[in-house]
Amino acid sequence: MNGDADNPAPAGGDAVQVLFRAIGVRHGEIWIAAVLAAAGLVFGWQASLLDFGTVALPGPGFIPLVLSLATIALGGIVGVREWLRADSGETVELGHRDVLIVFAAMLAVPLLFEPLGAYITLGLFGAVLLVLVARSSLVIAVLSAVVAMAACWYFFQVALGLQLPVGDVLERIVR
Amino acid sequence: MTGFDQVVNGFAIALSWQGLLSCFIGCLWGTIVGVLPGLGPLAGMTLLLPLTFHQPPEIGIIMLTGIFYGAMYGGSTTSILVRIPGEAASVVTCIDGYEMARRGRAGPALMVAAVGSFVGGTVSIVGLMLITPPLAKVMIAIGPSVQVVLLLLALSVIAVVSAGSRLKTTIMMVLGLLLTAIGLDHLDGVPRLTFGNTTLAGGLSFTSLAIGLFGVSEILINLEKTELIKAIQPKFRDLIPRMKDVRDAAPAIGRASVIGFIFGIIPGVSHVVSTFVSYAVEKRFSRHPEEFGHGAIAGVAGPETANNAVTGTAMIPLLALGIPSIPATALLLSALTIHGVQPGPLLLTDHPEVFWSLVASMYIGNVILLILNLPLVGIFVNLLRIPYSWLVPIILIVSVIGVYSVAFSAADIWLMVISGGAGYVLRKFGYEMAPLLLAFVLGDRLEENLRLALTMSGGSYATFADHASLIVLTSVLGLLLVVQALAWVFGYRKSVADEAEGA
Repeated sequence: MNGDADNPAPAGGDAVQVLFRAIGVRHGEIWIAAVLAAAGLVFGWQASLLDFGTVALPGPGFIPLVLSLATIALGGIVGVREWLRADSGETVELGHRDVLIVFAAMLAVPLLFEPLGAYITLGLFGAVLLVLVARSSLVIAVLSAVVAMAACWYFFQVALGLQLPVGDVLERIVR
Repeated sequence: MTGFDQVVNGFAIALSWQGLLSCFIGCLWGTIVGVLPGLGPLAGMTLLLPLTFHQPPEIGIIMLTGIFYGAMYGGSTTSILVRIPGEAASVVTCIDGYEMARRGRAGPALMVAAVGSFVGGTVSIVGLMLITPPLAKVMIAIGPSVQVVLLLLALSVIAVVSAGSRLKTTIMMVLGLLLTAIGLDHLDGVPRLTFGNTTLAGGLSFTSLAIGLFGVSEILINLEKTELIKAIQPKFRDLIPRMKDVRDAAPAIGRASVIGFIFGIIPGVSHVVSTFVSYAVEKRFSRHPEEFGHGAIAGVAGPETANNAVTGTAMIPLLALGIPSIPATALLLSALTIHGVQPGPLLLTDHPEVFWSLVASMYIGNVILLILNLPLVGIFVNLLRIPYSWLVPIILIVSVIGVYSVAFSAADIWLMVISGGAGYVLRKFGYEMAPLLLAFVLGDRLEENLRLALTMSGGSYATFADHASLIVLTSVLGLLLVVQALAWVFGYRKSVADEAEGA
């Protein structure tokens, strides 16, 4: 399942320690089907609160309800099909160390973006990735992050006039 | 303003310093994202989208379109020199391009790829210029019922021509349609599927979804791959092809221009499919089919011409009908909408300067790319030496700023991160992201027109089978059948796809 035509390999990169966990395709598909069906149920419940109208003259709830039911049905088809299928032993590898680090760091960005400010948040984000993923030294990572944030500030704020949040901390320092 | 004045005005905008600079930046960035594996035209366009917010719409669109066709040019470089496709449409070029490079003939392969791209690109722009205005005129007259038929057809075609599982494609399309229902109902103004959250009332941001599903998920997938890249370094003086190369490549370029031109109109994965079909056609027409797979120059010229010939014609459904046929044109639609320009039949009437400056800039861009891609190929190849782990934070930081700057909301960053994670897992299990994104873009209009048509007809579904709808339906289905037959005759799905996989 890995390395399809839409996902060409990346440029370079050192050999890294990986923590892959092989997930059976059958199990994975059943989980995806369950999530789809659950999403369909939740959206369907929300759609049922709206005016359905009639089949001839649909109201705002008509299409969302039909689509929710379709999602539940399609999730059900995938789930049942995979449930009945014999396990081929085919696996998909998830849980690469770098992927987990990048994803965890990305989850922190929207949390800190407004309270800490764009530049501090993104600077920290860049430095963490450079140390943990690119395996650069802390000094180089911090210096690179500072230079990158200065470049971002000049390019987006000064040149393009884009007002990014500065955050409470930086605002207090500026005041 | 007469038609001729509009053309002249378009060229004046494209040739102004802002137009030229925008075109150059677009082409350069497009080439870079095309060269760098793991970054495709869509990711490249979404990353520079915020730059266009402070520009007039015509200048912004010139830059974004430049990235789109620039990526097609750049993709061939890594295919030929490294045997890694810079983006999906360059997969086939790897087969013979890399073989040529391995035999010391990287120069002619790059030259033919660049010239083929130029010719294919130019042919498709001529098509765009000639077909869009009359088509838009016809489409102005159509009502909501015909629009519904057209939109349903577009979605059906995406499901049919998709390379992956039809069931999974359908699931992604239904999800896309469901996600687009989130927010205020366009006809009644009622908040839908918002769970009482006011942030969701404005609907989900297309930019966040596109960057998450394509950009972030692609970065996460690529982080798993750790191959070291060894690129073959071509010399500038070796670029000149031999007479035999010219004789073999010229007809291939001609045929592929037509193939790419036809496939560009078909929604879905037209740019990828056209390269496979073109390769198969060249192999079928060749007097030495045994050379294919061992460094046949027609095997480079054909696919590279075809994927660039798609770029112009892929804009026809977008600009004349307002229907994007591939994710990259969906992003252009979103960018135009952000600028207050609605692509579709009225574009040429309401904003002729946007259309004609775009056409003019594509001519100019093709020349810029030809100049950029040949002498500077060595510089682009050196980009591959930058470790991917250093590019990741840069790309993600720009993505976050880009996503935030659309509506200045941290919720959009959340959406990007969540859709990136979901896209990563779904892609690992073989679910394609393009159908979701295209359905997300088309869903609003589909529902709006469906309900409008039913209201206008007093609730009669017979309105979707009136005379105009049937004409549109039969013509489009006829065209699709011809294209599918062509793909089938030349065995796109079996032989060539297998060969590419083995490359």
